Amino acid sequence: MFETILQAVINGLLIGGIYALVSIGVTLIFGVVKIVNFAQGEFVMIGMYLSYYLSTQYGIDPVVSILFSMPILFVVGVLIQHYLIRRVLGLNDLPQIFLTFALSLLIINLSLMFFTANYRTIHTWYSDEAFHFGGVYIPYAKLVSFVLAMVLSAVLWVFLKTTDLGKAMRAASQNRDVAQLMGINPNRVFAVALGIALALAGAAGSLLMPFYPAYPLVGQVFVLMAFVAVVLGTLGNVMGALVASLLMGVAESLGIQFIGADSGLIVVFVLLLATLALKPSGLAGGWRK
Amino acid sequence: MNKLSLQYKIFVGSLLILMIALPWLITSSFALEILVRILLFAFIGTSWNLLGGYAKQLSLGHVAFFGLGAYTSTLMEINFGISPWIGMVVGGFVGMSASLPIGWLCFRLKGPYFTISTIATANVLMLIFLKFRDFAYGAEGTTIPNLGNAPLMMQFETKTPYYYIVLGLLVISLAITAWIERSRVGYYLIALGEDEDAAEASGVDVVKVKRNIYMLSAFLTGLAGTFYTQYIYFIDPQTAFSFNVSIEAALVSIVGGIGTLWGPVIGTVLLETTTALLQSYLGNSIGGIQLTVYSLILMAVILIRPTGIVGYFKEKFKDRA
Repeated sequence: MFETILQAVINGLLIGGIYALVSIGVTLIFGVVKIVNFAQGEFVMIGMYLSYYLSTQYGIDPVVSILFSMPILFVVGVLIQHYLIRRVLGLNDLPQIFLTFALSLLIINLSLMFFTANYRTIHTWYSDEAFHFGGVYIPYAKLVSFVLAMVLSAVLWVFLKTTDLGKAMRAASQNRDVAQLMGINPNRVFAVALGIALALAGAAGSLLMPFYPAYPLVGQVFVLMAFVAVVLGTLGNVMGALVASLLMGVAESLGIQFIGADSGLIVVFVLLLATLALKPSGLAGGWRK
Repeated sequence: MNKLSLQYKIFVGSLLILMIALPWLITSSFALEILVRILLFAFIGTSWNLLGGYAKQLSLGHVAFFGLGAYTSTLMEINFGISPWIGMVVGGFVGMSASLPIGWLCFRLKGPYFTISTIATANVLMLIFLKFRDFAYGAEGTTIPNLGNAPLMMQFETKTPYYYIVLGLLVISLAITAWIERSRVGYYLIALGEDEDAAEASGVDVVKVKRNIYMLSAFLTGLAGTFYTQYIYFIDPQTAFSFNVSIEAALVSIVGGIGTLWGPVIGTVLLETTTALLQSYLGNSIGGIQLTVYSLILMAVILIRPTGIVGYFKEKFKDRA
């Protein structure tokens, strides 16, 4: 019994690392640009297909392919900020919500047209390998992705805390007008925020590829998790999103273990609704006034 | 509360007469099917528009009420032999009652997170119905027993009666919208849609107005669920709680003109005609093409003119006057 629980918790933490990369992206964009990116999951999907093609066409290992997927998606993020999101900033909810929602629909359906709905998987030499540690079983692929996810989160954390650009981003997220008065160029900061967020989504995609199938709707799973984690972790709070993502991974995994294989999503939604009902300001926030 | 002009009355009157006459003028059953789809989504869009358009509560979970309505009438018919005509109204009330706890939860969040929480509630309902194997046929769903021509059980051998039912529903929802638009409640809705805090400060009971309009919107959407199930003779959680219904309800209103009486109707005509044309040129072979086109239209509307087609023409007429 104890080992089953421990195994479920470990599985949850391992996948939670991937959720964290996605939710940190969502919360970063929300914090800095004040936009909820409904299309964040689709960039995970793009990262997966990129790694899939790099692996099948050129034999590049999916974990190594983050060296391609991260820079490519960073550029995509800057372009999306420049050509799309910049044009709806300062408008009301409708264009802000439905622009990224339309983008999400567009990417999903374009990939349905080009890649079809078939599942694509990669088999690497370490896909079936695992540690046995006591009675617990830790697959290499998931461990590598978890460790890299944590490293990337830590790098981002240091970047936000110590570099000028990182401080400018935090300043812009706290008060855009004052930040602008201090000589911070909001467009540049927003572009970097979008770029980083999408690069993280791309990394999540590449890291998933050794043990998770790619298909056009795959992003929806991750973006829903991310939305819940972002609310739980308090909107705009990077550390909150990280911790909440790990918790959600564990909750989902325990749900699968003890309620049934198809109950993972139910657990997640119930968590979201419970959060909304009990503490809409998130775990790190104060009680709602 | 300005008076309606005579021209407008004549226009609406002749449009209604044309719509009533249309089944006699059209012989192709394919065309009639498209018309039923247009009327159905115009009806769902108009119901969505009450909450999403006037009160600016951008729900993407309206399929929750659609599905509840569909399941209520179906289960009542199969288990107790109760006519879907009654089931439809009961289903509307079930949707309406469900809007109370859902609204209680979702209205705690504003803007994009309201939208996300509505998506989540609709998804929870779908997952619940997938789990209820003994009670609601689970993931396999069930067909509606075919009784041949049975008007009392809302079953007909031709498409024409279905056309008139959904036309009637659309007329009712448009009449309700027109009435609300010109009533005090309409002004409350527009005020809270523009700025909730300012509306509250001016004495609008924001919580109550939002709750009531959500209830009305949910009731009407529930009726659509029953109609659709009776029309296609089949129900399962994937169709009854399909996310695409929520998307299309919002899309037709936004493209046509959010928060306007005719917006959802114009939007549906445009989007559904595009779909029909695409299908007749390309066939159904390419998956995803319909929503690709929809999302491009949606993006264009948002970036060029967020007030939609109706907004565009309103501004044009203003320039002339």
